[in-house]
Amino acid sequence: MATKRVPFWQREKYTPYLLLLPAFLILMFVVLLPLLFSLYTSFTGYRLIRPESLYDWVGLRNYRRIFTDGDFWSAFGRTILFLTIALNLEFLLGLGIALLINKITWGQRTLRTIMMFPMMFSPILVGYQFKFVFNDNIGILNNALYALGLSDGAIAWLVDKYLAMFAIIFAEVWMSTSVFAILLLAGLFAMPRDPLEAAKVDGCNSWQVFRHITLPFLMPFVFIAMTIRSLDVARAYDIVDVMTGGGPAGRTELLWTMIARTGYDNARMGQANAMAYVSILLSIAFTYYFFTKLLAARKYMGGAE
Amino acid sequence: MTKSIFKTLLAASALTGIAATSVAAEDVDYGSFADYTLRVKLIGGAQYEPLYARIAEWEAMTGATVDVLSRKNHFELDREIKQDIAAGTLDWCVGSNHTSFAPQYGSIYRDLNGVISEATLAEFQPLALQNSTVEGRLVQLPRHSDISNLYYIKSLFEDADNKAGFKAEYGYDLLPPETWEQVKDQAMFFADAPTFYGTQFVGKDEAITGRFYEMLVANGGALFDDEWNPTFNSAAGVETVNWFKDLYESKAVPAGSLNYLWDDTGLGFASGTVALNLDWAGWASFFNDPENSKIAGDIGLVRAPKGSAGIRSGWSGSHTFSITESCDNVDAAASLVTFLTSHESQMVEATSGLLPTRAAVWGDAKAQFAADGNDFLVEVFETYAISMEEDAFTPPLITPWIEVSNEIWPQLQAAILGEKTPQEALDDAADAARLVMEDAGYL
Repeated sequence: MATKRVPFWQREKYTPYLLLLPAFLILMFVVLLPLLFSLYTSFTGYRLIRPESLYDWVGLRNYRRIFTDGDFWSAFGRTILFLTIALNLEFLLGLGIALLINKITWGQRTLRTIMMFPMMFSPILVGYQFKFVFNDNIGILNNALYALGLSDGAIAWLVDKYLAMFAIIFAEVWMSTSVFAILLLAGLFAMPRDPLEAAKVDGCNSWQVFRHITLPFLMPFVFIAMTIRSLDVARAYDIVDVMTGGGPAGRTELLWTMIARTGYDNARMGQANAMAYVSILLSIAFTYYFFTKLLAARKYMGGAE
Repeated sequence: MTKSIFKTLLAASALTGIAATSVAAEDVDYGSFADYTLRVKLIGGAQYEPLYARIAEWEAMTGATVDVLSRKNHFELDREIKQDIAAGTLDWCVGSNHTSFAPQYGSIYRDLNGVISEATLAEFQPLALQNSTVEGRLVQLPRHSDISNLYYIKSLFEDADNKAGFKAEYGYDLLPPETWEQVKDQAMFFADAPTFYGTQFVGKDEAITGRFYEMLVANGGALFDDEWNPTFNSAAGVETVNWFKDLYESKAVPAGSLNYLWDDTGLGFASGTVALNLDWAGWASFFNDPENSKIAGDIGLVRAPKGSAGIRSGWSGSHTFSITESCDNVDAAASLVTFLTSHESQMVEATSGLLPTRAAVWGDAKAQFAADGNDFLVEVFETYAISMEEDAFTPPLITPWIEVSNEIWPQLQAAILGEKTPQEALDDAADAARLVMEDAGYL
């Protein structure tokens, strides 16, 4: 008697693929298709207010325009500067906060909760908050400096070339440092006590223990935090948009403010998507860099390769 | 069919009994749309909200329900509408609009000629309707208009020391300014940074482009020639930029001005730290309200000054309502926008200083203010009535206006901050604007 042939979807060798199919389909519709669509539009003269322009193929014109635009490259460089300074400051401050909180024995939970407050604000609110703080005329910072006799004029925090960048980085660091602090604190909690005690028995001082044991152990957590932050740091768009709008004279213009203005205010979505692709490549480069550092750190610690 | 009749009595007669000669009971049939839900997107913000309290009255009269899908500021609403156009989700009927924004939206909005009755349209100011027309189509019904005039702190101009000091320094009497050059002199005279400033200006987005534009015209310049070639990098353009630059460099304006928008300048003047302030009519009541303003009762107002060409600056526009082409119940939509721009609605808006677009409301509102003893608002309406009639002009009503503006204002900032000379900055802006106009098919 001939055995009944099993349908191919019931064959064992296809099972993993079938199980993966829902995830694959969801990723395709939610991530891949929008990405391919925006890639396509970056080769068109697509304008939001003229849907028919979606089929207006212009080849590489959008890319040629942005690559020959000095303002674009200025924003590109400023974005890298912003990412580098903000992420490193967030790391250093987050590490400091995590180490301090790890030391205390009473009220630690309360402090951990308080530490997370800035994360609970939407970036738009953070932007308005610091726009008010840094306002030159009625802002509390200038008024405090003036009242204390530390300044005799109104400091244009949101206008000056360096101070404006400082102000938006300050707001971003204020909002996101706790992400680092929480992840690093988790790392400290997970840290075995034996190597620390062994080092102390061997006569290491506190700095040596931190430098050669604690920090290497924390590095995978640092790079995980860096990877996460380099992917979601574009949320800072709202802060910058509210505080300075990328100005004045483009002094705080980042790729994200430029993309939003080009895509929505100017309705040139094709050109904005070309810029967005460059921005995505930048994010991927940062993520890849941190990911390789993460693997190296785990290897150093004897973990998975 | 149940016919609901809404009787709107002109507020002047209803509330004060004054101006009875101009009063006529206005019988308006707003129709019946029982169980219909009208989907709308409205501009939000403190100045605009009081009118929306009246929507409940319209619902009660017509039996319809209004579903407010959005209530955002105009820039955010603009983005949302553009997304709706792109996504093909124009499944709503009534949207707030503005004369500066309307040309961007192509044909998504209906021509209201024929939708709104001729008798109703005849009650609006012809200029407001003309400015609401894009390529021959009345795509919006004007709700209220905007133009700026110059507010100043009165006591500063009455102070004997100031008068003597100013005359000694500048050689002419200290009087409310008639020209922009006088504004500059007086601003520099009054300024005492960081505690007091002569004047201020909005410093980014379309706000500073608009201010530049109106002074450019006042100085005899123009943004474009007749064939849409950018011409603002002219001598008049440089003269205009220098006005901003000189004030900024002499610290006669707050150091953060280049980051200011309307709220910043309005609140700054109300804080009593600024001598002269060119601003919209909608701020008038706020400035004169002791709860919000330190200079209440001490405010003078003159028409916007003249530029070197003897022309007064008069950048103007109207907030409006539009009805989408895709609307599934045009009668209901027309009924709502008619109601929200009715005589009574405009009387409500006028009490905060917003400028009516119906001719009759000007006189009736002024009569009501006089009867209420609000001399300041009477002065405001008298001053703004003249400027709306004689000085008002809109930005070019062209599709790429906002895009052109986005090329101009960063360059203005660069010139004011001294990163470029005014001529270099305007040349760069003109080159970029030319590209925009070419892409848009104007050149």
